Amino acid sequence: MPEERSERMERARRVAATLSGFAAILVVWQFGARFTRLPEYILPVPTVIAVRFWQTLAIQAHHLGVTATTTTVGLAMSLIVGVLLALSVIYIKPLQAIVLPVLAAFNSIPKIAIAPLFVIWFGLGLEPKVLLAFLLGLFPIFVNSVTGLGEIEPDVLDLARLAGGTQWRMFTKVRLMHAVPYITDALKVAFPLALVGSIVGEFIGGNSGMGYLILSGQFNMDTPLVFACLLSITLFTGLAIGVVALVERIFLKWRPSRRKR
Amino acid sequence: MTMTPVAVKVDGLTKTFGTGAAVEDLSFEVRENEFVTIVGPSGCGKSTTLRIVSGLVPPTQGNVSIRGKQVDAPIGDVGMVFQSPVLLPWRNTVSNVLFTAEMRGESPSAYRERALHLIKLASLEGFEQRYPHELSGGMQQRVAICRALLLNPSLLLMDEPFGALDIMTREKMGFELLKIWSANKTTVLFVTHSITEAVLLSDTIIVMTARPGKAKAVISVDLPRPRDVKTLRDPRFLELAGAVRDNIEAQWVE
Repeated sequence: MPEERSERMERARRVAATLSGFAAILVVWQFGARFTRLPEYILPVPTVIAVRFWQTLAIQAHHLGVTATTTTVGLAMSLIVGVLLALSVIYIKPLQAIVLPVLAAFNSIPKIAIAPLFVIWFGLGLEPKVLLAFLLGLFPIFVNSVTGLGEIEPDVLDLARLAGGTQWRMFTKVRLMHAVPYITDALKVAFPLALVGSIVGEFIGGNSGMGYLILSGQFNMDTPLVFACLLSITLFTGLAIGVVALVERIFLKWRPSRRKR
Repeated sequence: MTMTPVAVKVDGLTKTFGTGAAVEDLSFEVRENEFVTIVGPSGCGKSTTLRIVSGLVPPTQGNVSIRGKQVDAPIGDVGMVFQSPVLLPWRNTVSNVLFTAEMRGESPSAYRERALHLIKLASLEGFEQRYPHELSGGMQQRVAICRALLLNPSLLLMDEPFGALDIMTREKMGFELLKIWSANKTTVLFVTHSITEAVLLSDTIIVMTARPGKAKAVISVDLPRPRDVKTLRDPRFLELAGAVRDNIEAQWVE
């Protein structure tokens, strides 16, 4: 179809524009840093970072694996707990008066500030990292789940009730479907937050993970390694957001395309 | 007058919200296969009445019974159409029409054929796989009507179903509804504030007064069916519309 082809061309054009934008930044960085004679330990140029990245690939992979694990486990926990908490306040109305203020108060504590406490409580293993990732990811997932699962147009529920809909059918066929875009949106916010939780946890204690690797780069004034770590983390985040986008493409085909709106 | 059995009986219905009465001592009957319209100004409790009849809202006082059975919970055998189409945005046309079957716990595939038949009847052929945002307002509302009729309900409740549409689409929708209704003769209780719509569609019109809502007059519409565009120019049509208007305007003076 000609329409499809032009859409494809349009997409290719946008990808090309994005890539050339990145390329321009890299070029300016590369030659700008050389021109200003900034030393490598302040701002290494892209080619140096790329080389360092390549040299440390195996170490990067190992530590990224650790960070990816704590982040993913923590985020999975925030997803499960966030959705369950949302369901509890939706179906058991009196709980709202307890759960909402407690969570709001809890959310006002900067979780990063209590990270050292977790080291005291849970040691230097993976547990405090998972816990931090979980706590940071929880709030956005909970809030969006309450909206997505709870704020259904009353007329839709009336219609379902008149047709003889049970609570279970209304849950699976209305609430859950309505919540999908809210939850995928929340994941896009919660993922970077959970990653922050993991990395801060690794800064504070332990001997693995990207946080640890970045710190060791700092101690050795190995700035190219620090930048190489940032590159790894960015690639990982990109992958995770890509997974969420894939889920959206599969489940949210019905959504009007944003460009057309 | 032939004695068709009574389908819906509303008796001494009163509904108060807070301090004021929305509906006060309202009584009327709807006979089997009759198309009854409640017409009245905004805020006269028309929609409230419809919700009470459906069992979604309990009355403060009075009784509603459907085929002799008192209504005290959402009734099953009813199709409902609201002012907004309330389609599920993640479902295409067919799937939205099948929603009522799924809510009842029926297998949607068993109703697929009927769904497609209704969609065709509603002139939505070719739009079966479209999502609601790809349909116009009038089309969306026709999907909602198909959905309400899917399970072949013995009572269809319509709460200003064309109220959100522009005037031209609205007139056309009236004829579409007549077409669908004549193929699925069912008892209809319809709410509107359009006099033209009321006269065109109904067998009987109940004119309600503004707050508190009471039945001011009951008007029988003796226009022959099937009705079409010509009906709108029929002198009898204008006469009946005038009668409805007189009853509404009489309240302005009071």
